[in-house]
Amino acid sequence: MKKQPWLRLLALLMALALAAAACGGSSDDDDDAGTDTTAADDGGDDGGEEPAGDPEPGPGFDGTTIRLGVLTPTSGSASIIGNPLTKGNQVYWDRVNAEGGVAGKYQVELDIRDTAYTEATAIQEYNASKNDVAMFNQILGTAIIKAVLSQMQQDQIAGAPATLDADWIREPNLVPIGGPYQMQVINGVDWHINENGGEGQKICSLAQDDPYGDAAQEGLDHAGEELGFEPGPRVDFAVATADFTTQINQLEGDACEAVVLVATPLDAAGALGKAAQVGYAPQWLVVSPGFLKLLFAGDLAPYAAENVAVLSEGGNWGDESIPGMGQMIADLETYGGDQVPDPYFAFGYNQSRAVHQILEKAVEMGDLSREGILAAIQEVESLTFDGLLGDYTYGPIEERDPPRTSTIFKFDAAAPTGLTSVAEVESDAAMSFEFDG
Amino acid sequence: MGIASVLDPVRRRHPGGRPHHKLDLEGTKDLKLLKGPWSKGFAVALAVAYFMIPGSLEEQTLRTLCYCGVYAIGAIGLNILTGFTGQVSLGHAAFFGAGAYCAAYLGSTQGWPFLTYVLAAVVVGLAIGGLVGPFAARLRGNYLAVVTIGLLFLAQHLFMNWETVTGGGNGVTVGEAAIAIGPLDFRDLELGGLKYTFPQAMFWLIWAFVALTALLAKNMVRSRPGRALQAIRDRDLSAEIIGVQPTRYKVAAFAIAGACAAVAGVFYALLQNYVNPSEFGGRIGLFLSITFVAMIIMGGVGTIYGSILGALLVEYGRRFIAERGGDAPIFGIPVEKGWVTTGELNGILFGGLIVFFLLLEPRGLAALWMRVKIWFMSWPFSY
Amino acid sequence: MTALVAGAISSDAWIEAIFSGIALGAKYALVALGFVIVFKATGVINFAQASLVLVGGYLCWNFSATWGWNFYLSLLLSMVGGAVLGLLLEFLLLRKMSGEAPFTLIMVTIGILFVIDNLVTAIWGAEGRDLPDPWGLRTWKWGDVDIAVADVWTIGITFVVLAAFFAMFRFSTLGLAMRASALDQEAALAQGIAPKRVYQVAWACAGAVGAVAGVMLASGSGSLNPALGLIALVAFPAMILGGLESPGGAVVGGLIIGLVQQLTALLAPEYFSWIGGGFEIVSPYFVMVLILLVRPTGLFGQKEVRRV
Repeated sequence: MKKQPWLRLLALLMALALAAAACGGSSDDDDDAGTDTTAADDGGDDGGEEPAGDPEPGPGFDGTTIRLGVLTPTSGSASIIGNPLTKGNQVYWDRVNAEGGVAGKYQVELDIRDTAYTEATAIQEYNASKNDVAMFNQILGTAIIKAVLSQMQQDQIAGAPATLDADWIREPNLVPIGGPYQMQVINGVDWHINENGGEGQKICSLAQDDPYGDAAQEGLDHAGEELGFEPGPRVDFAVATADFTTQINQLEGDACEAVVLVATPLDAAGALGKAAQVGYAPQWLVVSPGFLKLLFAGDLAPYAAENVAVLSEGGNWGDESIPGMGQMIADLETYGGDQVPDPYFAFGYNQSRAVHQILEKAVEMGDLSREGILAAIQEVESLTFDGLLGDYTYGPIEERDPPRTSTIFKFDAAAPTGLTSVAEVESDAAMSFEFDG
Repeated sequence: MGIASVLDPVRRRHPGGRPHHKLDLEGTKDLKLLKGPWSKGFAVALAVAYFMIPGSLEEQTLRTLCYCGVYAIGAIGLNILTGFTGQVSLGHAAFFGAGAYCAAYLGSTQGWPFLTYVLAAVVVGLAIGGLVGPFAARLRGNYLAVVTIGLLFLAQHLFMNWETVTGGGNGVTVGEAAIAIGPLDFRDLELGGLKYTFPQAMFWLIWAFVALTALLAKNMVRSRPGRALQAIRDRDLSAEIIGVQPTRYKVAAFAIAGACAAVAGVFYALLQNYVNPSEFGGRIGLFLSITFVAMIIMGGVGTIYGSILGALLVEYGRRFIAERGGDAPIFGIPVEKGWVTTGELNGILFGGLIVFFLLLEPRGLAALWMRVKIWFMSWPFSY
Repeated sequence: MTALVAGAISSDAWIEAIFSGIALGAKYALVALGFVIVFKATGVINFAQASLVLVGGYLCWNFSATWGWNFYLSLLLSMVGGAVLGLLLEFLLLRKMSGEAPFTLIMVTIGILFVIDNLVTAIWGAEGRDLPDPWGLRTWKWGDVDIAVADVWTIGITFVVLAAFFAMFRFSTLGLAMRASALDQEAALAQGIAPKRVYQVAWACAGAVGAVAGVMLASGSGSLNPALGLIALVAFPAMILGGLESPGGAVVGGLIIGLVQQLTALLAPEYFSWIGGGFEIVSPYFVMVLILLVRPTGLFGQKEVRRV
């Protein structure tokens, strides 16, 4: 009896709250998104006389500044890659902003989030920043990207991956740059067999037990098919393995004469150190993220100089014959603070350049909304890097084609980044690889 | 009608003067869920807040509250195990992961309906908890804690290698899992023509489950099984002497904790939209288990509402630090450009929060609340 | 290396696995010892031991690489530094919490762990560093077997430290006081042994031992990086299966775990490939559980006397 008035009151409050929630929810979204179709006539036409008109404000774009998200590890063991890469992103935009910004009008701001190289944290940071950014300037980590990709597709947001997996090529939401790991391995193996005396050798792999390792293995398998050899066994390890004795013993036990090493710098150094200790000296073909000058420089240096080849792309740091090199070095001087020359810095710098080209296209088409950026990605014909990286053919998603050249580097303590190139390879096996995604 | 009507029966029964309102000669008050007008009023306020919150907070805060709810469900289970039964468990993340995979595999890959896979998660949690339970019968305290850490490593190994279910290193998306109870589809909620966003809908769903779990837990705790568990925690030999079978209750406690964590895991997977084996086992899993333990300790060991408070405090605190950490003035310099990165600052603040909170109030928020309550109750004689 | 038939495990591989297992086990033993010292004296499982290991390693690096001092001197100084840090933690935090429930204490040590781990990366950076140890990557060839010089020294130094510690425990007044206090605190108090003193010494020892562990873990082919603290996770089974109150048990436990890990990594791909990769991470826990089923308080642990 006593409960009835309470219940009635409660029911009334519930109904009110539900209504408020629905209206509140959708208007919150509107506020965050900033799209106000009624104000379009007022907001957009700042002297824009081009047929496409100026882009209207949207998520991550308020009419004057474009905000780009960055999901990168700034802490943890992967931060030795993440920090210089993000610095590269930042330095490029600092210079462009100083010159007036995208299309000479729009400044660019980066919203940097720490993922600690864990998928769960990355997903949360992605959700936290997605409403405030137009697209993502950097997402680091093959596994991380796989984690957020379905959400990105749902939210229709684009992002530039800071990893070289071939799976990204056929993804409309992603802006990959550089030759993928598969290319690196194929070209590396081709070089080893044809120019490094590796004909007839048993080529195995020591790989991280995750999608990154799988990508490189795919390359090795393809190389085996094209060049007519049976790859040796793949020895797996987990990230941050303390002791590589058993893995090295396994490789030795299988009499592997060349090993493709797919790891991050810490693990690469651990594995190589162990191999040096036991006197096992195959030809190491290290995929690009495995290298860090600091770790290779100490006790490991003589062994590394003898036996290690790093598979990557682009030329030597400071090579004046490359058109874009001078600009990059100058920008590092001006805006880089205490950042030292670093291959990851160069990658981040080029990544921002790629995003810049996409944004320019989007502004040209007059649409910086999510859909506009996705459309721009397929309208850009190719991404160019002034020779720092190979040209990437873009356009419709089925026709995207990465550069198929790789550079083979040797460890050189005297070089600014610790690497000196010995060969540039664009093998037939690499040309025949099909990217189906 | 109104507040006075609640007090009327008391006034009618004691025309000569009321005994103190705390006097309870029959002991029936202890068993009641809502004791007195303040509790009832608070319950009503909670109900109102439940409906009002999704409309008044922005999306990011709602998301954080959803995660808080997820952890609250898990924390309630852990509190039953550790707080009420005294069994230390650092393997909670393994149950959590099992639940997440139920959602991912059964819900998304196999396409089972929502209530079915939640039920499956409960069953899986009960089963795994029941398997671990007998170890508790043999082992005590710290030894049990480390064995449960072993469970984490075993779980990680299993998750990484059972590729058909977990997708191995690639993980599994949960995007296809249905979240529908009858006509209500929480992925795309539409009531009476009004559309609700995903965080709003999930907030209602998750906190409904929190309320359900809390109710079930509280009911169990304030009745005979609950007393048996507490007896085992306090003096297990004496408990055995008076007829409480310790093994049976310890196994049951583990099973319940497992079931709660599994349900929490289901909602976690639905929120994250992606499940990866590395997050529930090994080092990261240990961090997750530790987070749960932190929640129950800072919320109040041995209380149900303490688990919820602890979950709110720890998870909200963590997200708050993650969001605002970049703005923290460290010696007047914004953090990204200073000598400490956001990630490191988060860790330092999180650890610092735990340490200082425990220095100030070692028995958690619940104890703090008790102190406040007692101060008010014994006013003007509070000290 | 002799040519090996693919698929068989040679005797060289066995010997190398066993040797590296002992060396690894020695490192685990050091870490486990740190845990056990604190536990025996104070009844607290000190999760922050992992951070003491980390700080010790980084201090040694700072002294020997950044400031260029002699390596062995740096090692000794880092032990002193570790001891100081241990004392500091005990004084500032654990003293105030001494009466609280065990979970609360464990939680506080976990909080300390987070803070110190992140401070270390803030101060010294997250990159892996090379410790300038005098052993580097050199190996001794013994027939066909390659034994890392660093491993030999690790085993040597570990046993020296252990022997020194046991001597102190057995023969010095301080050690006697600690043992008495661990057996029965009230009786020790009646004899004039202040528990405060015992705690301080325990934490200082744990810090020093942790520092040595950190340096040894980072030497040789390993590198000094923030992930060193994770080693503590593997030290847990070591100290549990040896018995939480037994320092000797910690050593034995550490050696067993080290051997188990290396032998698993050697044999599993050969004979148990169905079990999936990476089982050597699970195997210590597996072994620990087996031993606990037989002896619930560890190999050398004391049977707990429970009163109604």
